[in-house]
Amino acid sequence: MKPKLFFAFAAFCCLFLAFGTYQGLVIAPTEETMGNVQRIFYVHVPAATVAFTLFFVNFVASIFYLWKRSPKADALAATAAEVGVVFSTVVLITGPIWARYAWGTWWSTWDMRLNTMLMLWLLYVSYLILRRSSTTGSTSVLASSLAIFAFLDVPIVYMANRWFRTHHPAPMIGTSNLDHRMQNILFINMLAFLCFGALIAWFRYEMERTSQKINAAHVQRAAGGAGAMLAVPAMWLATGHTNPAAYLWGGYLAAWGIYVSYLLFLMAKLGRLRKEAAELNAGS
Amino acid sequence: MSTATTKSVRPDAPRVSMSITRLAWINVSKDLRLEWRSRDVFNSMMFFALVVVVVFSFAFEREASRPVMGGLIWVAFLFSTTMALNQSWSRELRNGVLDAYRVSPSPAEALFLGKCLGNFILIMLLECLMAPLFVVFYNLSSIGPLWQLALIAVLGTWALVVNGTFFAAMSIRTRNRELMLPLLLLPISVPAVISMVTATAEVLAGEGSPGVQLKFLAGFCVIFTTACFLLFETVLNAE
Repeated sequence: MKPKLFFAFAAFCCLFLAFGTYQGLVIAPTEETMGNVQRIFYVHVPAATVAFTLFFVNFVASIFYLWKRSPKADALAATAAEVGVVFSTVVLITGPIWARYAWGTWWSTWDMRLNTMLMLWLLYVSYLILRRSSTTGSTSVLASSLAIFAFLDVPIVYMANRWFRTHHPAPMIGTSNLDHRMQNILFINMLAFLCFGALIAWFRYEMERTSQKINAAHVQRAAGGAGAMLAVPAMWLATGHTNPAAYLWGGYLAAWGIYVSYLLFLMAKLGRLRKEAAELNAGS
Repeated sequence: MSTATTKSVRPDAPRVSMSITRLAWINVSKDLRLEWRSRDVFNSMMFFALVVVVVFSFAFEREASRPVMGGLIWVAFLFSTTMALNQSWSRELRNGVLDAYRVSPSPAEALFLGKCLGNFILIMLLECLMAPLFVVFYNLSSIGPLWQLALIAVLGTWALVVNGTFFAAMSIRTRNRELMLPLLLLPISVPAVISMVTATAEVLAGEGSPGVQLKFLAGFCVIFTTACFLLFETVLNAE
């Protein structure tokens, strides 16, 4: 890793995210019917964009691994899946918080749009479990094959989305339904979160490489969001169901709770890896 | 299998070249013969499915369960299928049979096709025996045409079996073998299960036509069968 470049990029991401969040929370016009709750949109949609991008990266890296058997591609695939799971957890938690206010219900069972995202999440969690529980030699090949299967499901369910009715708002980018100021702020946030995703993935990738190098492939599940999931039931207890601001803050809190706890989880893991590497060096 | 390998390597032996269908058929007949003699998979699968039907009939009231009948039938089949598929490969692990397959010159696709067809026959048989049970316990009758139900059953079973056989081959390579298969198979099969359940419910209630769902299911079968055949050799030889 090039530390200088990494830290410069990290600083850039922080500034960009702060700018995007400020734009989303303060500058963006308030939506007519939903009020402030609609501002969850600026974390929900970018998280979905990043998650889909990372799952696509995972698919391409997996194919490349099966073709060339390069350990770098395998590390990239593992990284993309894990970080993708974190971002889709954010999507799955901020979505219901918004829906509870806008639709009056947390989840709509037969909504294909919601099911697609949940299914993707399940698929990539099962991918991470497979990586954890397969015997060391065969992990990469088995995981790469599963990744191809997982990505095959994406277009199928996406098409099913058109055949069934859905509550989820239709994509509005580029249509006259979306205020152009809102659209610009959405794009700023998308870019900011893509940078953020790339930053985390870079960090995680270097860790994966280190872990490969010291021959200790601890692939961990992205359990970072567990604490933040408490935000939803806590809100249920704490607030009346009519205050949009509560949902807005709940959404932002949950999203950032997940990101921060994942970063803390990575830090802890990095510490462990460093210790292990030091022990190995001392032993040899 | 090991004798077959040495035979083709020995120079004086006649060179035997067999087509994939012939090899697959040998696998199918071997599997079915083993199953016929021991009946260990079939008996436990049949009993498991029976228990599921009985438990469901206690858990859901008969009249209230009519709208969710499609779901009940497929959940019962899905669970029994998972159980049968776990057994189908673990048989090959004993005495290193799977390793013998890997060194034998027969293509891996033939082995996979044979396993799939064997499992497919077994599960279709199970479904035929289970259907009367559903009629008895839930007073089930179909308003829509029966041939549509049969078509859904064939396509749906193939969708479950082809993915299931592939992921069972994958999960026997992991540490927690039996646990891994449902974890891998269920999320992948969600789109197929949704269309199977919806189509079955539509036919049973005689409302709407299941055409779209059937097309979707057929597409699912084609896509995943292709992917399974392309990747099976890689998974079989993963080390």
